[in-house]
Amino acid sequence: MRASKIPMLIAGLALWAGQAFAQPSQPQYSADGLYNLANSYARAGKPGLAVLSYERAALLAPDDPDINANLAYVRASAHVSMKPRNRLARLVQAASPTSAAWLGVLGLALVGIGLVARKVARRFLWIPGGAILLGIALIALTASNALLLWPRMHEAVILIHQTPARVSPAPMADTAFVLREAESVTIAGEHEDFMLIRTGGGLSGWVARANLGAVVPPVGGER
Amino acid sequence: MHWIKVIIANLYLLAPAAYAMAQTLDDLAYETVEPSRIKLGESAILRVISFGRIKDITLPTIPGLVFEPIGRSQGFDFINGSTLPATFYSIRITPQFAGVFTIPGLTPSSRPVGLEVVKGDEPNPYTWHSQQPAPAPLPTASLPKGVQLQAGGAAFVHLAIPGRPIYVGESVPVQIDVGLRAGLVTSVNGLPTLKGSDFTFNNLSKQPERREETIEGGAFVLLTWHSALAAVKPGEFELSAEAPLTVIMSALSAVDRAVASRLAFPLLQSMYSGIAPRDMTIESSPTRLKVLPLPTEGQPENFSGAVGDFQVSSDVSPAGVAAGEPLTLRLHIIGAGNFDRVDSTMFGHLDHWKTYPAKSSFIPTDAVGNEGEKVFEQSLIAAQPGDQSIPGLEFTYFNPNTRRYERAQTPAIKVAVAASLASGLSLNGASATVAAQGLLPDHRALQNSVSELRPLYFRPPFLIIPTSLALLLAGSWFAVRPRAAHATSKAAEHVLAELDAAARAGDSSSFFEAARKALLQTFAARWQIATDQITVADLKARLGTTGEDVERLFAIADEARYSDNQSGGTDFQRWLSLIRGQLAGERE
Repeated sequence: MRASKIPMLIAGLALWAGQAFAQPSQPQYSADGLYNLANSYARAGKPGLAVLSYERAALLAPDDPDINANLAYVRASAHVSMKPRNRLARLVQAASPTSAAWLGVLGLALVGIGLVARKVARRFLWIPGGAILLGIALIALTASNALLLWPRMHEAVILIHQTPARVSPAPMADTAFVLREAESVTIAGEHEDFMLIRTGGGLSGWVARANLGAVVPPVGGER
Repeated sequence: MHWIKVIIANLYLLAPAAYAMAQTLDDLAYETVEPSRIKLGESAILRVISFGRIKDITLPTIPGLVFEPIGRSQGFDFINGSTLPATFYSIRITPQFAGVFTIPGLTPSSRPVGLEVVKGDEPNPYTWHSQQPAPAPLPTASLPKGVQLQAGGAAFVHLAIPGRPIYVGESVPVQIDVGLRAGLVTSVNGLPTLKGSDFTFNNLSKQPERREETIEGGAFVLLTWHSALAAVKPGEFELSAEAPLTVIMSALSAVDRAVASRLAFPLLQSMYSGIAPRDMTIESSPTRLKVLPLPTEGQPENFSGAVGDFQVSSDVSPAGVAAGEPLTLRLHIIGAGNFDRVDSTMFGHLDHWKTYPAKSSFIPTDAVGNEGEKVFEQSLIAAQPGDQSIPGLEFTYFNPNTRRYERAQTPAIKVAVAASLASGLSLNGASATVAAQGLLPDHRALQNSVSELRPLYFRPPFLIIPTSLALLLAGSWFAVRPRAAHATSKAAEHVLAELDAAARAGDSSSFFEAARKALLQTFAARWQIATDQITVADLKARLGTTGEDVERLFAIADEARYSDNQSGGTDFQRWLSLIRGQLAGERE
């Protein structure tokens, strides 16, 4: 009875996932396209939009040296500091998030198959044991990759020069501090047309939604 | 007729009184000395104000005092709120030694006045309690040359312009002085104006300079306005200035004033005096000004008409820019002259730079805009990185002091242009082909595109895949049961190895005993009963023909155990095969 329900459940989930993937999607992103777009913005003297596009390109191709070099160059030109990545982060993020996701799936499969194989195998039990270890390593890689990328899901780039960060989400509110164009901030909340941001230095303020661009745009809305 | 008679009768009655008052006024006079206390070496002014017909005054003779008449003037004085015509005599008194002097009245009705002359800075015993310094006496000045008092001596206007010839277009400062006698001019009804159709005038200074002076024995308030003028054509022209005023003066003729002075009764006199405020415009005497044409010889082509004395300088800000970023070039022209004709187009075209039209601003440093600084600003955008040089700017003007055209040139300015972010920025309508240093070029081959930037593992649809896989594998793990033989494989292998060893050693007792034990444990686990409850009937019923072999094996094991019978030792292999089959789960 139980064995007969599992395939039906899996089939239903696969059908839902297939429908979800099959939805017509809207803007198409590619690392090269975003990189070229960022170069165009940089040439046009718009460092904010350039950094935003470089950041998005780096999401898709974190190990692309051109993207990282131009991102660093534009940030330096805009006098915006850039936090260097440590060795572990560079190692973990050597794989693109897409590759890491599929490697995680592979690791999960290896662990599962290894466990089942160890249950039924009579000889060569080191083979499923090795598969389990490899699978665990791949899952750990994927988890680390996701853990490091998680903060960037809430990152945004200031697009306008001398953007005021206000003390409250109102256009006439007092200015708490001023942000540079191309500066990266963390989105901590939102209220109507304002977003609560936090800078690398720990300052918080409300910035008009139009003055910044989220590195990962919200689903269904491109900024 | 009746009323005429009444009036004539009244006049007859009043005539004696009027005559009496006129006689009284003939004798009315008073004197003042200002100041009444002076230091040795200073002078005081003795003023005699007479309301009668005094023809002359005889100066007194007092040892130690020298009297010197300064002037005589006609005017009005206020007595008990009434304005009366009066004659003012001013006499300067210069002491020769210190002391207290009494000056007798110079008219029959005036009283003596006192004058104290001290040697030095002796304290004034009458003002010892006062810390306030005595007001300084008004400075004494004389009327400018060629200027006459107007409006009955109440005011004058004077136009001061350069005495030298000027050039066409040259801006020269002018000064208009308006002198107002205190108490007689009640108001100035507007700004003075310059008269001359062949000149252009700058606006007058908004607030006149004000000072007080004693001119011809009377206190005057002097108002001075400044302006600048420029001639529009050569020649000799006349210039004058005029000022609108309100002056208190008598509208009567001299004869009428004499009649009025005979009215004895002050009320009647004031009624008949004809004194009233009167609006009038006073004008300065015309001044001739020679205007020379600008020399045509040596006139530069780019001469814009600027005449004056100027100095030029230039700067840029910021000092360093990136290619594609704007900088501001400024040309500063400082000096004096006609700044409205000071012009510069800066750079119309400049290699390697994009130029924009210049704009100017003027900051005057005087009240009329004849002196100041004019700044021209032009935005430039560097087209390419590297060390660039902005050529010097030239400004040409005519200097009236040196009487020749002069060229002022600024030095070239070096600008370090850094590599730009905008390597492909279009400049001057053409595409710049120089790639900016530091910005790596575009990628040619486009990779696969995705519909969402969020990584796969953060997307719910993707998470279905590992979830499904995990469920599938978990189900498989639970579904796959380990085989019974497999579960006991290790123990079975151990037993088989033990049996093999016993068989090789020919130890049938150990062999069969171990075989029986292993088989009983296997059957007990398989049939879920205790080993001591397994009977021969169970063996036959569950194992069939194999059960008979197993039963025989158990019998041999008993024999071997109790009789030490070694029979059947040659059948070890057959028994091993049977045991291996049963341990491996061979079913009945």
